[in-house]
Amino acid sequence: MLNFSVAELMIPLVAGIVLGYCLRGTKHVGFGKVTLAAILVLIFSLGFGIGSNNELLGSLTKVGLNAVVLASLTIVFSVVFVKAVRKLIRLQ
Amino acid sequence: MIKYILSALFAGIAVGYVNNNYGNVFANVWISDYVFTASLIMLLFVMGLAFGIDKESITKLRQTGPRILIIPLSTALGSICAGAIGGLILGISPIASATVSAGYGWYTLAGPMVWQIFGAEWGALGFATNFLREILTIITAPVMRRVDKYAPIASGGATSMDTTLPVIVRYSGSDVLVASFTSGFILTAVAPFTIIAIASLR
Repeated sequence: MLNFSVAELMIPLVAGIVLGYCLRGTKHVGFGKVTLAAILVLIFSLGFGIGSNNELLGSLTKVGLNAVVLASLTIVFSVVFVKAVRKLIRLQ
Repeated sequence: MIKYILSALFAGIAVGYVNNNYGNVFANVWISDYVFTASLIMLLFVMGLAFGIDKESITKLRQTGPRILIIPLSTALGSICAGAIGGLILGISPIASATVSAGYGWYTLAGPMVWQIFGAEWGALGFATNFLREILTIITAPVMRRVDKYAPIASGGATSMDTTLPVIVRYSGSDVLVASFTSGFILTAVAPFTIIAIASLR
């Protein structure tokens, strides 16, 4: 995750929601292909940032195994906690 | 679709590595800053559009209401517990590793902060662990979606408001857009404070 100000992220998001709200009832537009293309560009540039970051690659080779274990555990516990609490309060 | 995403990720890593280490053909910032930001802003706009057009989206959001806050809360608790347990399993300081996990995937924050508190070795772990959280969230999104609609959001932690948001929405659907953004936003806001709070326990 990079450093964005919340406003930078909120402006396009809210603009999209408002425009979409105004366009309600008009013919449905397919976003599938456009978003997939944009996602691939986003992920490619994310990868590019990783590949060109020697400090990051260095830290991975140094503490790789511990990082994999910690990251996996963190993800599993987060998911289990959310799923359990969601069931508990019957969140749809 | 995950094939394409993974190919794009690894192609990006390879091209970035070659470009950086064997004669900078183009400036790194062009791809990793400008192209990245432009595509993210465009995606946020299109995701907002899809959310706004959907007649049921706001009804769904009203039904959930403030209860949506349990997602970031449970994610934070789960992450911190996982960090402490992971520390015990790996035979390293559970408090330091819980501090690492309290970065919730925000590696540009967790890396330097943990570095300052626990030193270089831990800083590298803070950097790598939180970075892997982001990558694993992207890779496992289709599997997580089958576990729970909100599982990819939990997995993404603080990244679910930007980098991983498009992938999460792609798999979990437009109606999790606000939940995902809110969860990522809250975790981003609390990350520096939980890092300091847990580190002070040592």
